[in-house]
Amino acid sequence: MRTRDLSTKLIVLLVTLVLTGVYVLPIYVMVVTSLKTPVEISQRAYLIPTRNLQFQNYAEAFRLVYPSLINSSIISFAVTLLAAFFGGLGGYYLSRSRSPFVRVLFILVGVALYLPYQVILIPLVQFMAKTRMALTHMGLILSYLILNVPLASVLMGTFFLSIPRELEEAAQVDGANRLQLFFRVVSPISLPAYASTAIIVFTQVWNEFLLALTLSTPRTTTIQVKLAEVKGSFVALYNIQMASALIGVLIPLAFFLFLGRYFIRGVLAGALKG
Amino acid sequence: MNRKPRRSFRQRLSEVLESLPFLAPLLVFLVILYGMLGWTLYVSMANWVGTAPNYEFAGLKWYQMMFRLDRFRVDMNNNVKWLAIGVLPTVALALFLAYMLEIGSVKRIEGYVRTLILYPVAMSFVVTGTIWSWMYQPDKGVLNTILRAVGLSELAGRYTTNPATATYWLILIFVWQYLGFAVIILQSSFRTTELQEMVEAAIVDGASKLRILFSVIVPNIRGGILILVSLLLISALKVFDIVYVVTFGGPGYSTDVLALFMFIATFQQHLVALGAGLGMIIFLMALVIVIPYTIYAFRKWFE
Amino acid sequence: MKRVVLPVLLLLVLSLVLSACGPAQTPTAPPPVVTVVREQVVVTATPAPEPKKLEIFHWWTAGGEREAADAMFKAFKDKVPDVEIVENPVAGGGGVSHRVVLQARLSAGLPPDTWQTLGGAELKSYVDGGFLEPLDDLWAELNYAAVIPGPLAKAVTINGHPYVVPLNMHIQNILYYNKALFDELGLQPPTNYDELIAVAEAIKAAKPEMSPLALGTKEKWEAAFVFDSILLEVGGPAHYVQVYKGEVDVKNDPAYKEALQKLEALVPYIYPYHAGLTWDESCGLVVSGDAAMVLMGTWAIGYFQSRGWTPGKEFSAVTFPQKPERILLFHPDTYGLAKGAPHPQTTMEWLKVVASPELQIPTDVTQGGLFARIDIDPANFPDPIRQELQTYVRNNPDKLILDQHGSIAPFSFTQAYWDVIAAFIAQPNVDGTLSSVADLLTTYNVKAEAAWYQWP
Repeated sequence: MRTRDLSTKLIVLLVTLVLTGVYVLPIYVMVVTSLKTPVEISQRAYLIPTRNLQFQNYAEAFRLVYPSLINSSIISFAVTLLAAFFGGLGGYYLSRSRSPFVRVLFILVGVALYLPYQVILIPLVQFMAKTRMALTHMGLILSYLILNVPLASVLMGTFFLSIPRELEEAAQVDGANRLQLFFRVVSPISLPAYASTAIIVFTQVWNEFLLALTLSTPRTTTIQVKLAEVKGSFVALYNIQMASALIGVLIPLAFFLFLGRYFIRGVLAGALKG
Repeated sequence: MNRKPRRSFRQRLSEVLESLPFLAPLLVFLVILYGMLGWTLYVSMANWVGTAPNYEFAGLKWYQMMFRLDRFRVDMNNNVKWLAIGVLPTVALALFLAYMLEIGSVKRIEGYVRTLILYPVAMSFVVTGTIWSWMYQPDKGVLNTILRAVGLSELAGRYTTNPATATYWLILIFVWQYLGFAVIILQSSFRTTELQEMVEAAIVDGASKLRILFSVIVPNIRGGILILVSLLLISALKVFDIVYVVTFGGPGYSTDVLALFMFIATFQQHLVALGAGLGMIIFLMALVIVIPYTIYAFRKWFE
Repeated sequence: MKRVVLPVLLLLVLSLVLSACGPAQTPTAPPPVVTVVREQVVVTATPAPEPKKLEIFHWWTAGGEREAADAMFKAFKDKVPDVEIVENPVAGGGGVSHRVVLQARLSAGLPPDTWQTLGGAELKSYVDGGFLEPLDDLWAELNYAAVIPGPLAKAVTINGHPYVVPLNMHIQNILYYNKALFDELGLQPPTNYDELIAVAEAIKAAKPEMSPLALGTKEKWEAAFVFDSILLEVGGPAHYVQVYKGEVDVKNDPAYKEALQKLEALVPYIYPYHAGLTWDESCGLVVSGDAAMVLMGTWAIGYFQSRGWTPGKEFSAVTFPQKPERILLFHPDTYGLAKGAPHPQTTMEWLKVVASPELQIPTDVTQGGLFARIDIDPANFPDPIRQELQTYVRNNPDKLILDQHGSIAPFSFTQAYWDVIAAFIAQPNVDGTLSSVADLLTTYNVKAEAAWYQWP
């Protein structure tokens, strides 16, 4: 549905220009800041580029954030895969059963979708520290799963609802049980939905700050906590922080660009059909 | 009452066993979640002050104190602002952009715009918040420097340093960050074959572009809009990082939100019971949002 | 083909989870059961052999503070060469994030051996929670009370027992000023409120673009610094202590009201966009010439130096106010011994080093505070400002009162109080603020919670 209308094209051009300004400016400020010296930073002339570019800021930033990138990757990928997997199982059940039990379950899951971590933060910290899971990646992984599995279940279930039952019925006639049905028939055609669920879960976990801060230990510090830390408390090292942030954004960005296509496809397949 | 034939015990057992692998993981996490929610509720009625856990029952003491605090009133106000202003304009703007990209753009522009507005999604508020705090600084910040340079210095504002309007500027960051995400979701829900055909038909009938948007597209992407609205509502209610990074609740506590106050009460003031109480208030607000959504989703789901 | 996909995915998940937990768990040597460790601490007669290891939480992570932490650990390693130091540095001005992480560990019964804490109310919250061992024997052994100022000893003594070893003192009420500007305008640094207003007026007249007083209230405590200085002058030191002990009926107190009114009169001379700046950025305003003065703690000296300003040359400082008498508001950085510490013996070694000049001289000179020990020669400081301050403390050890960070009032009150004062500077409202503060004092039960503090 494309138009040849000139006035529409003008509007498009204008909007594109405005958007360019609004979205390029912050990233410009970020890049310029990451290449400055601390003294230039403290002059707060954000727009003015520096003449002697401090590329070593990036080396320094990488040295500082490298361990936390590993931690964040382990935690985010583990949570993403597990949440998508468990969410697929749970979502399938939610979408296929009509029992009163499932109706109650659906409401419980729906409420869980909206809960911020603040609601369970105090017991969660107690629990993770008491069981010593807080000292390992397991603590954060499990914590993130608590809220992301219900979310993934709903996202996956929405997709499963749109799959025609005939496929499963045919397989059922051949004598397949529920698990076989799910893994051999339903899941393979649901990969786009897995991809879109994965994107949503991954970006949420990668960028989460509150829980990562509360449960941080030297061995499990995530990139977001590290980003707050490298700024320092004495002299604000925004140059290092911004260089670190630009390094840190590469992984989710790659994830997004790579899976973005699946995301669109997944949605195209009808996951969000009104 | 007995419409279905009674199933034997063995049948029931095998049904339960069959559904167990599907349900078990979800159930485990739900039990943990609601268990902890109950635990928080209990802490909010205990006398836990300081670092050491104290589960001595204190009734509604902390709630009474909370309702007396002016800060709590400010927080509730701000949270409502976030929910309303953070969500509705984002959806409207995203709808406009998505529609514009669909009908009026050249292929290359579409890809460009999408990448452009999507990159903030990959960034955390810790980073974007820091950058926007530089954008907003009234004396040397980016926005005012530009405004002065182009001779519009009377437009230069106080942004987040003005207690009366600071929250709105914070919300703008949220809109900026989530716009790309919103556009993607809406754009994808445009692209069902049925909808495309309906739009083609409307064009043939000579309907105007706005009419197509409101009479054909919007009614047919209700599902997409619903998911978007609910995702945005969740994020707006959870908002913590933007406020933490950009204003830390200031000036004074004029931009404070419940989630930040919960954090400060628990970890800075060491009033853990009060923090738990604030957590419960956030939960109640979530419930209020969730009820209409759940009713709608419930009907669609089990129709 | 498709049938393979999911089993493979499953395997991938499993292997990922395993690999995720594997390496992280191995180095986590299971800490000994808490009850056993408690016995070790109490029964000092039969110390079991323990690895020479120190697990320490602190917030000196970046800028000049990282170097101070390094100096601290170097001094420790000089004394105990084969010790392994496990740090958990968590950044955040004044330890904001640090406390979040620490609280999680403490409330779960997994304490590190020792952690950085300020004196006063913060220390008291750890003592009340039963997380620290009393250090009477160590203090007696080192005769520490004799070598530090009396008010410092009192600030770390709760219910009659010293619980930590202070390694420095930070002074809150210092007014830094641009020396070249003051010379140019022929101004004398103000040491009381009237002089401050006069100087501010003169600067405003000569340099309309410049804010006479810089301020950054993003973290809120900065606002209380300015107010404290005024309150100290209007009501005097005894009144100041009474206010924060909750013994003054603030709502009907003329001195408190007058102090607020004077602060309101000062607001037009304060940098107007203070809400968006942190303390270091506010000091930066002085360096960049956007402001002439700033009221900040001793730690600002290090900041100015990092910007290339030399004390006594580009900038100088006076304590403010010096009327009715010259009182220094202070807080210490300290370390103690955790109850149930995994390595109590090494920690005791550490605390002895913390108390020694060998640690305090390199650490404090780098980080920015004064020496806790007044038997260290003030000439060890490279800058005239701290030389003078340390000499003053040495000769007048009783002129010290706990400041906002070392807090007389309980933490719960102090945090909320900063918000109220910061809001006041953003939008002055004397009567509203009086009743807010009075409310906070009763809500947070300050009178009972602050009764531990004795001054003089």
